[in-house]
Amino acid sequence: MKWEILIVGRGGQGVLLLGHVIGVAAAKYAKLYVTGTEAYASETRGGESRSDVIISDNPEDVDFVKVRSANVALFMYPYNIDSYLNLLNPNAYVFIDATYFKESPKGPWKLFKTPYTEIAEKTLGNPRVGNMVALGHIIGRTKMLNPEHVEKAIEELIPEKWINLNIEAFRKGLKEL
Amino acid sequence: MKLEFMSGNMAIAEGAITAGMRFFAGYPITPASDIMEYLAEVLPEKGGLVVQYEDEIASINAALGASWAGVKSMTATSGPGFSLMVEALSLAAITETPVVVADIMRAGPSTGVPTKTSQSDVFQVRYAPHGEHLIPALAPWSVQEAYDLTIKAFNISELVRTPVILLSDAVVAHMWESAIIKDVNEVEIVNRKKPSTPPNEYMPYKPDEDLIPPMANFGEGYKVLVESLAHDERGYYRQSNDVYRKLIWRLINKVKRHIDKIYDYETYYLNNETEYLIISYGSTARSALAAVRDLRRKGVKVGMFRPKTLWPTKEEVIKEVTKDVKKVFVVENNTGKMVAEFERYIKKAEVVSIPILSLDIPTPEEILEVVSSWL
Repeated sequence: MKWEILIVGRGGQGVLLLGHVIGVAAAKYAKLYVTGTEAYASETRGGESRSDVIISDNPEDVDFVKVRSANVALFMYPYNIDSYLNLLNPNAYVFIDATYFKESPKGPWKLFKTPYTEIAEKTLGNPRVGNMVALGHIIGRTKMLNPEHVEKAIEELIPEKWINLNIEAFRKGLKEL
Repeated sequence: MKLEFMSGNMAIAEGAITAGMRFFAGYPITPASDIMEYLAEVLPEKGGLVVQYEDEIASINAALGASWAGVKSMTATSGPGFSLMVEALSLAAITETPVVVADIMRAGPSTGVPTKTSQSDVFQVRYAPHGEHLIPALAPWSVQEAYDLTIKAFNISELVRTPVILLSDAVVAHMWESAIIKDVNEVEIVNRKKPSTPPNEYMPYKPDEDLIPPMANFGEGYKVLVESLAHDERGYYRQSNDVYRKLIWRLINKVKRHIDKIYDYETYYLNNETEYLIISYGSTARSALAAVRDLRRKGVKVGMFRPKTLWPTKEEVIKEVTKDVKKVFVVENNTGKMVAEFERYIKKAEVVSIPILSLDIPTPEEILEVVSSWL
């Protein structure tokens, strides 16, 4: 079992946080081997952010620290998307935040185009938890991790007053999408 | 002991805390800044102090001063900041001051590509400080190893009374993995040797059998001289060939004498059937090992050697791991540097330099392409 996860978005959308949540859930609670890297621009908000996470039950799968053939990808913002498409496995689950994408990339993958940010804003009153709606959707569709492990990771990483909102957003993506 | 999910830079900070570091002086520079940022939050809770100085020169000198006051101290920087620190590293070498400098390599020269990775400074840490010295340098390849080698760096610096460089890079710095963080009593911690002689008999640079002088700190009743001029055992400047030769050879030989405590490495798939050997270190070794596994699946008899200690080289180990192989490939993220150091000791096998300059990290595919063309 090996998951190579690529998350790309815009600084401020919580791309790096998603990588950390997946990493903590997999490493600390599911006891899997995890590696990953993150890249971000020098701006606090607005630049391109990228998070690569590799999860496996085999330590030999986590030598290289970046995605070679992603089987899960989340695109939160249409930055250089064409340059990432060659990193996608043909069978990949590809999730796209339709709030920011006018056109979908075309390919053989299992494509899910959903307005995560818009859903978060309209139903939870805060566009900033769009990332957690997307994470719920990813976990629900891929069954990559136990949702309870993900929620424990969210509780560990999010400041206390925002935990409930983030859990709510995660469950919305998990159960309703 | 606890399992944490953290970045390579956080692991360096945690390793320093476990080792007993209680004074950090630094000036921010990507990709090293988050070491100071993390320590600023947690070190005060441990009774330690984090100070941001006006520049890297002040930072490393403050760390040296703190060390002489008896506190394990460190600084962290990247290439451009390291350039400013090299003068003080010479000072640390001749005054035999324990200190750890974390150097998180990024792409240069000069300000280069500030947030991107590189392994260009492997010679800078060895040769940039002027004069004779043999400053050890350790290169982690994972978050766990960033933690473990930071502790080792402090142990070496305290044992041998020398500055030690922890040579990481931007990829390891921002790599996120799990690491086992240990309690102080679960890991070997070395503290500097103190004088056993009474203060009136103490000579600050008189070595024991192991070539290392016991170190009295300021405020302990001993006469302490921190002398940057070539000095005798009392710490007095002497312009004499005898004194100079004795001092310099001791500074070099005390490191060599403790090579077994300093030198560390790992081998992969190395046995008497191995025909090809890849040598790689730091973050690039992660890609190299993935490439090695890919090649082995295709039936190529390839193994890997990964030095965790880049300086000094233990000659016997390089000779031993290369003695039965046909070809050695040295894969590094620069224009081909450490290959020159290894090649000096490799007598029979053909040595091929595989320099892959990459702002991200050389990929296994890039390594496979070049190595395959030489098989």
